[in-house]
Amino acid sequence: MPISADEPLLQVANLSSGYGKIVVLHGVDLTVAAGEVVALLGPNSAGKTTLLRAVSGLLPRSGSVRFAGRDLLGANARETVQAGLVHVIEGHRVFTQLAVQDNLLLAARDLPRRERASRVDEMFGLFPEIAAKRHERAAALSGGQQQILAVAQGLVRRPRLLMLDEPSAGLSPVLVDRVLEVVRQLRETGTAVLLVEQLIEKALALADRVYALARGAIVLEARTSEADLPLRLENAYLATATTETASLAIR
Amino acid sequence: MLESIVLSGVAIGCIYALIGITYNVMFSASRVFSFTAGALGMLGGVLGSLFIAQVGMPLIAGFILALFGGVVLGIVTEIVAVRPVLKSLDQHLYVLSTLALALMVQQFTAIEWGTDARPFPRLLDFARGGFDQQFWLPILACAVVIVGLELLYRHTLIGHAFMAIAEDTYAARALGLPERRLRMTSYALAGAIGALAGFAGGEMLLAFFGNAPLLTFYGFVPVALGGVGNNRGAVVAGLLLGLFQQAANFLVGGIFASVAVFAVFIIVLLVRPEGLAGAALQRRV
Amino acid sequence: METPVAQSQPSRAIALGSLSALSAGLPFLVLFVVGVALPLFGGGYWGVIATRACVYWVLVSGLNLVVGFAGQIAIGWVALLTLGAYTASVLVAGNVTPPFPPYLALVVAAAVGAVFGLVIGLPALRLRTFYFAITTVGFATIVTQVALAWQSVTGGGVGVAGPIFPPPFSSEWGFYYFCLGLAAICTWTTANIASSRFGRALTAIRDAEVAAEASGIAKPALLAMVFLFSGAVAGVAGGLFAALQSYITPDAFTLDLSVLFFIAILIGGRSSIIGPLLGTILLTVLPEFAAPLVAWSTFLYAVLLLVIVLAIPGGIAEILDFKSRRPLDSHRAIIPRPDLLPRLFGSPTDGSLTLEQVALSFGGVQAIDGLDLEIRPGQVHGLIGPNGSGKTTTLNVISGFYVQQRGIVRLNGTALPARAHNKRAHMRIARTFQTPRIVGSASVLQNVMIGGTIDGKGTFAESLFSLPRHRRDEAVLRDTAMLALSAVGLERLASVRIDRLQHSELRFVEIARALMLRPAYLLLDEPAAGLSAEEIKRLGALLLAIARAGIGVLVVEHHPDLIFDICDHITVLNLGRKLAAGTPAEIRTHREVVYAYLGG
Repeated sequence: MPISADEPLLQVANLSSGYGKIVVLHGVDLTVAAGEVVALLGPNSAGKTTLLRAVSGLLPRSGSVRFAGRDLLGANARETVQAGLVHVIEGHRVFTQLAVQDNLLLAARDLPRRERASRVDEMFGLFPEIAAKRHERAAALSGGQQQILAVAQGLVRRPRLLMLDEPSAGLSPVLVDRVLEVVRQLRETGTAVLLVEQLIEKALALADRVYALARGAIVLEARTSEADLPLRLENAYLATATTETASLAIR
Repeated sequence: MLESIVLSGVAIGCIYALIGITYNVMFSASRVFSFTAGALGMLGGVLGSLFIAQVGMPLIAGFILALFGGVVLGIVTEIVAVRPVLKSLDQHLYVLSTLALALMVQQFTAIEWGTDARPFPRLLDFARGGFDQQFWLPILACAVVIVGLELLYRHTLIGHAFMAIAEDTYAARALGLPERRLRMTSYALAGAIGALAGFAGGEMLLAFFGNAPLLTFYGFVPVALGGVGNNRGAVVAGLLLGLFQQAANFLVGGIFASVAVFAVFIIVLLVRPEGLAGAALQRRV
Repeated sequence: METPVAQSQPSRAIALGSLSALSAGLPFLVLFVVGVALPLFGGGYWGVIATRACVYWVLVSGLNLVVGFAGQIAIGWVALLTLGAYTASVLVAGNVTPPFPPYLALVVAAAVGAVFGLVIGLPALRLRTFYFAITTVGFATIVTQVALAWQSVTGGGVGVAGPIFPPPFSSEWGFYYFCLGLAAICTWTTANIASSRFGRALTAIRDAEVAAEASGIAKPALLAMVFLFSGAVAGVAGGLFAALQSYITPDAFTLDLSVLFFIAILIGGRSSIIGPLLGTILLTVLPEFAAPLVAWSTFLYAVLLLVIVLAIPGGIAEILDFKSRRPLDSHRAIIPRPDLLPRLFGSPTDGSLTLEQVALSFGGVQAIDGLDLEIRPGQVHGLIGPNGSGKTTTLNVISGFYVQQRGIVRLNGTALPARAHNKRAHMRIARTFQTPRIVGSASVLQNVMIGGTIDGKGTFAESLFSLPRHRRDEAVLRDTAMLALSAVGLERLASVRIDRLQHSELRFVEIARALMLRPAYLLLDEPAAGLSAEEIKRLGALLLAIARAGIGVLVVEHHPDLIFDICDHITVLNLGRKLAAGTPAEIRTHREVVYAYLGG
């Protein structure tokens, strides 16, 4: 389905979600254009992971989620993946009992049989560090390699938008650079990326645009080229509460 | 004498192991133990006897229909007793819902089939000495299942999907795997394995509704001792259980053999709650 | 002006309490009166049914504490009925020993039941749910098999005659009244336990085990008492059952019977006495109304069980709980009353709670790495840092849920024993949890009272018979809990079922429960998560007041406003190490901290 020129690839509006009684997201608006790298930042427990989960259909949600011109609000995780929106969850959770190659084949499960092998080879071409271990169990990979495998699992279907949840968490600095390098590679292939990341400076260096989330709401949206961004971000992080209290007092 | 103890011990051990594998296959797909495992075994024997001895169907047709009965019960278990309570796993409602379903199957059988144990037909008559159908059939069934499952899990995509679901359901769902359909397929597979266990053990255990609670208990012992989700462990523990039971049967008499089995089971569990085969499968999220 | 108002609240709660106790007792009274008057309505066969219902209830009342309150899935309880029946019958028949008088035989049956109740029950301490359920099934199967095989004692398949009680209990109605009396006693005693600190502790073990442990509840001792009691009444029920049947064979004790007991409790509903009582009566009587269906009765019980589990997990008790359907005031606010706090606490202590070089790693990941920390009475200490920096781990080490691999935690200079998480309460170290741990089916007040469990003086036996010390414990606990609730600002919701509360309110309930310990140190794990800005302000004021009353407060938190507003001292963690420590003003300007807090 063609997308009209001005409709972004992903358009999230007034999205609310949470866990049972606990509402975490309060009406979030967010867009990602085709081929764009967007960083989603925010303090701990601001709702970043929840936002990704809600967008990818892993959590119940309300509001509006449109992707590539389609309404995905009622879609489950599987349908979302099939629509070309893939979520690589936090914590490099690959299937450790399966061989590296089988991890990728499994992710490519819905593709025609003939295409699967070539897609997997394509991934091994992109990520030589896991190609060498293609027949070993994923348990034998290092944390960084597992993260790369997890990203490759997400990419094997050639999604139009890849959502990465803290891909650098728990990795050594060298591996962090390698994993973020992958994001740069993606950007060149034209895949849009929504990146949740704790390493702010590195995320800003990668991204075209940035959102800051605090207390389940977007508190800042900016292009990474804007000059006073670090200061504004700091304020958004540390001062949200204060301004909120102040506005409450005024009311 | 020793030979017959070993033979019957191995044979009954194979049946216990198969029920244990039934538990495992269901557990891997859903993190749930189901009381219907024993009912599946009972049903395999009863349906086999019904189709082949009562209705007079050909052997193959009766066998396939018996397995099909198991598949149906497996799927019903998933839909009726497991899926509705998966959301609140921590409340352990599955213990009650699967117990209820198992009782329904057992009582239905008791009423429609009768409360007396009926004989199971002799399928092929080529007994050589003591090596009778009642011994070779369970051993063959167990071998076929364990080899078949190995091949499935190692070499097929759906087998890999089963393993993925078993290891990390959440990650599997995020990857777009059809979790629900895979779970249902697992339960269908478990149903077939459970019915096969009862069918293979039919001549030894007879077609008897009361086998359900018996198999529920004795089939769980290999799971508990062999390690949850570990099919090879289940076979080893099942064989040990069968041999121990038959030896105790011979040495101290049938009833106290059950007491001995129970006592050993409890003591082993209390000392090593995660089973003899080692580490617990738990993952703290 | 403040004090009289505050005092009137607890006393009003007591008045409300006794009123609700009266209305709660009414159904029992009605049932008892109907039971006593039963011989007037019908004769013969109905007498046998009614007697059977009484006998079953004697067993179910005890099992109810195990299943309905403690949440242990004990399916094979028929084994204890079998043991009691054979013990009483064999002793009275005198084919092994000299004949016993029936009453003495009943007492011995109770003792045997108690011992075996403990034997089947105690694996529950170590085994997971399904494992425990299976072992009880296995035990039931084996007891029947032994009864069949041990012919010299039990008569094997032929069976043995049941005991006959001397007049006035020898006639049909006489025996009925004997059973009715015992059933009434069982109802009364189990209801006493249910409304005591022991009953609340059981439900806490069932629904919120870590909170129970943090409140100092010792699960093994408590469960052992319940299994002993439940086994004893099951043994008595066995003796009565044998007398009612007049002749027993192993066939009489099938697993179906066990399932009936179990289902009666589930139909009735958890944490309820009246529900399972009605369930027992219903299941005993129902097959009599549908004679053609008798063969199908177990099948129908199973269907009923499935329907209950899937459709109404709360059982009859929830259907009858009209009170919880009344809407709550939707515009309610939590207004804490910090001025009440001093009345909750004794004189402030000196000393401090210190961590020295504490380290702990999980499978290669260093969660905390050589951490020093000092929490002083009268101060609020904030612990902040990015995700995975070791904040909650630190809390879990202090409260004994984790054992540090290196370093020492000291309380006033004395090293705290490792792994003794249910001993921390006795040292007056209280805590709250990231996700509130509550007993959903209990009222707010009852949930708070759980926090004061260890301060009760009466024993389990005293609670069984509602002796004075038990009543005094209850009154004190209730008053203190009302005071704690008033202090956190939730006294108006005291009698509401807690699962109807909002998430933010639960956080304050947890604080009230922690205050019940009269803590010297209070540890809070993200108390502001999910709270509105206004609520956070009130929470801050409350925590500050708690500290100023002489308590050492440790707050793990993400919300910078709360931390910077109320803390006297802040420690910033990163990757398990102390990144910085100081006053809020120092931390705010600490570049490295700002960077780390932002996730650098």
